[in-house]
Amino acid sequence: MVTQKRVTMPPGNSVLTVHWVLPKGNAMADLLAIGNWLLPLLYLALLADYGATFFLRTRTEARSPWLVVVVAVHLVFLALRGAHLGYPPVTSGQEIASVLALATAGVYAWVELAGRDRRTGVFVLLLAFLFQYTSSMLLAGRVAEPSEIAPGAVGVWARLHVVPALVAYTALAFAGVYGLLYLLEHRGLRRHRFGVLFDRLPPLDVLEPMAWHALLTGFVAMTVAIAAGPLLLRAEGGEMTAKVLSKIVTGSVAWVVCAVAILGRWLGKWPASRTSATAVVGFIIVMALMIVSGLLS
Amino acid sequence: MAELSVIGASHRTAPVEVREALALTPDQASRVLAEMGAEDAFDEALLVSTCNRTEIYFVPRAADDPRAYLLDHIARVKGAPAAVEARAFYRHDDADAVRHLFRVAASLDSQIVGEHEILGQVKAAYRLAVTARTTSALLNKLLHWAFRVGKRVRTETDLGAGSASVATAAVDLARHIFSSLAGKTVLLVGAGQTAETAARALLAAGADRLIVANRTLYRAQQLAHDLTHAPSDRAASDRAATDRAASGRAATDRAASGRAATDRAATDRAAADRAATARERSGREPAADAVGLDAIPAAIARADLVITATDAEKCVLTWQDLSDILRARRTALLIIDIAVPRDVDERLGDLDQVYLSNIDDLDRLLERNLRRRRLEIPKAEAIVEYEVNQFGRWLASRQAAPTIRLLQKRIRIIQEKQIERYGKQFSDADRAQLEQFTQAMGKQILHAPLALLKQLAADGTPSKRLAAVDLVRRLFDLDTLDEQES
Repeated sequence: MVTQKRVTMPPGNSVLTVHWVLPKGNAMADLLAIGNWLLPLLYLALLADYGATFFLRTRTEARSPWLVVVVAVHLVFLALRGAHLGYPPVTSGQEIASVLALATAGVYAWVELAGRDRRTGVFVLLLAFLFQYTSSMLLAGRVAEPSEIAPGAVGVWARLHVVPALVAYTALAFAGVYGLLYLLEHRGLRRHRFGVLFDRLPPLDVLEPMAWHALLTGFVAMTVAIAAGPLLLRAEGGEMTAKVLSKIVTGSVAWVVCAVAILGRWLGKWPASRTSATAVVGFIIVMALMIVSGLLS
Repeated sequence: MAELSVIGASHRTAPVEVREALALTPDQASRVLAEMGAEDAFDEALLVSTCNRTEIYFVPRAADDPRAYLLDHIARVKGAPAAVEARAFYRHDDADAVRHLFRVAASLDSQIVGEHEILGQVKAAYRLAVTARTTSALLNKLLHWAFRVGKRVRTETDLGAGSASVATAAVDLARHIFSSLAGKTVLLVGAGQTAETAARALLAAGADRLIVANRTLYRAQQLAHDLTHAPSDRAASDRAATDRAASGRAATDRAASGRAATDRAATDRAAADRAATARERSGREPAADAVGLDAIPAAIARADLVITATDAEKCVLTWQDLSDILRARRTALLIIDIAVPRDVDERLGDLDQVYLSNIDDLDRLLERNLRRRRLEIPKAEAIVEYEVNQFGRWLASRQAAPTIRLLQKRIRIIQEKQIERYGKQFSDADRAQLEQFTQAMGKQILHAPLALLKQLAADGTPSKRLAAVDLVRRLFDLDTLDEQES
């Protein structure tokens, strides 16, 4: 049985009409409830698979179709959920945790494709699993009350701002982490310090494209997020609070860091170690700004 | 008398001169085994001879003094008597001999603990003994058990983890920079044997272009050919390398003297063999080029990995010649300088794309790997001890007494089954007669095999007893019965 669902939001908001073909009523709710519990299990299975790669050092160069499948399932889940409930999954911490899990796994799938090495995946997927587990535990099928949803959160600008911003910060975190791993290995080779971590690091020519692709992803996503930001602000009423200001500063710094690193490499012919160092420093600054921003709000 | 013994000399008991005097080529080992077989000196015998050990595992028979007997045969095939003091030899009997073999196969008794070659060398020694028909039930079982122990230790511990020679360390370092060596170019500067072995290992690991730079272009061409051509040329190449070393051209290889250098040389030789074998299997011939030392700047621009090992007094890769070229590089360059005095200006190592390691850096890496391997020794020893016990249990089950008991039990089971099946057709009186009849028949059937087993237990050699017990156990499926009991 299929149907069209029409969701009317509180007065003052736009009316969303969902034209997707969906199972009717309770069947959809059941499907979403199953998906909500299935996702952490899928991430757990991926974690076990990547854990085996890391600890047993097997299939380090194998591509993982299951990672792409899980990312696709997660994407479909969030799309269906958004369509069913009539608002995007960015209205609460729990929903954002799920988007963060998807962004983490999605960006990782992309950089893994660039680096052709899955040795570092276990750490990333541990994060994705924890995000999704937290989301599923706390969310547990909970639907936000109309009064809980910020006025601008259901608009198109919210989707175009919040989701790319989450992807951008995730990608910047990746660039920072892979940049750090690159620098550790670079330093190990330079100073001949061969520790346990050194042994398990992927080669430099794998880490470098992984950090680079994460940086590019962060830059593109942050550009979209920054472009959609003012429009979202206007849709929400245009009030410039300290929280909004700190977000603007943080986002701008992240964007500048990505831009500097990219231009440095393209135009300045920077070596990979300098690009990596920029990504690491940028990531640390952005983290610090986020903490300050959190304290301010 | 012991059922199994080992006598030999290894790096633990004998200095290198003694080991050299005792070392046998496969041909010589075959001749010694053939003579031993013809003379019926041992019931079974296996001769393991590598650069670090010469030892014989045997099931004793006639030889009163196996050490003298072994020395005598070695002297015969080598054409010169080996003056070896008795204290250079060790002897282990029974469980200790089994433990010794398992430790050897697991590479616990090797000079470089965890090295990969020894298991293959023991296998090769076993093949020689099988060809010479000097093994039988006991050594056949023992050797296959030892191979399994070697494999277990390799897979269940990290005893063989990390590089243990300059050649493998070079490959390890390269793999920290490049995910694959395919398409990479190796530049070999100089003609030291260690550098040559490292270049061989890099080619075997996938590098498919080689440039050899040497003061003499002819020598560079010769080496380039040796390193990249068919394995049939390997022996010639090895001889050439040895000659070079002997004539003093491999001065760099003497940089680290004493035991460490000997260790490295041994593992490097093995790495060279592995590299050649890998190339042989892949059927791939890397492209090779030879240039003079003046062409290094042009060659280094094409290279991804550089190994230098000249006997030059001054730097060959200088800041003046190369800094601009290397500064302009967009891709990483690994330089391994194993020459003493060093060939590479250390300032080049500060350039961003250059990763420079000298002989001390490699030694640090090797020492760290060996330390890690040593941490795995207790785990490996525990596996060996467990397997020695298991082998002991197996051997005990192959004694005559338990086999006779199981054989009698098997016949009794058959009798009881048949009586249960057909007994109902008889009256009680007839049934008693039937039981007597089957018991008498069982005794008659068992008479000959039991007599043989008892005789072998009393005065047969362990090998004959094992062979007979094994046959009886297989004929009557006694192993299944044994398992059911336990």
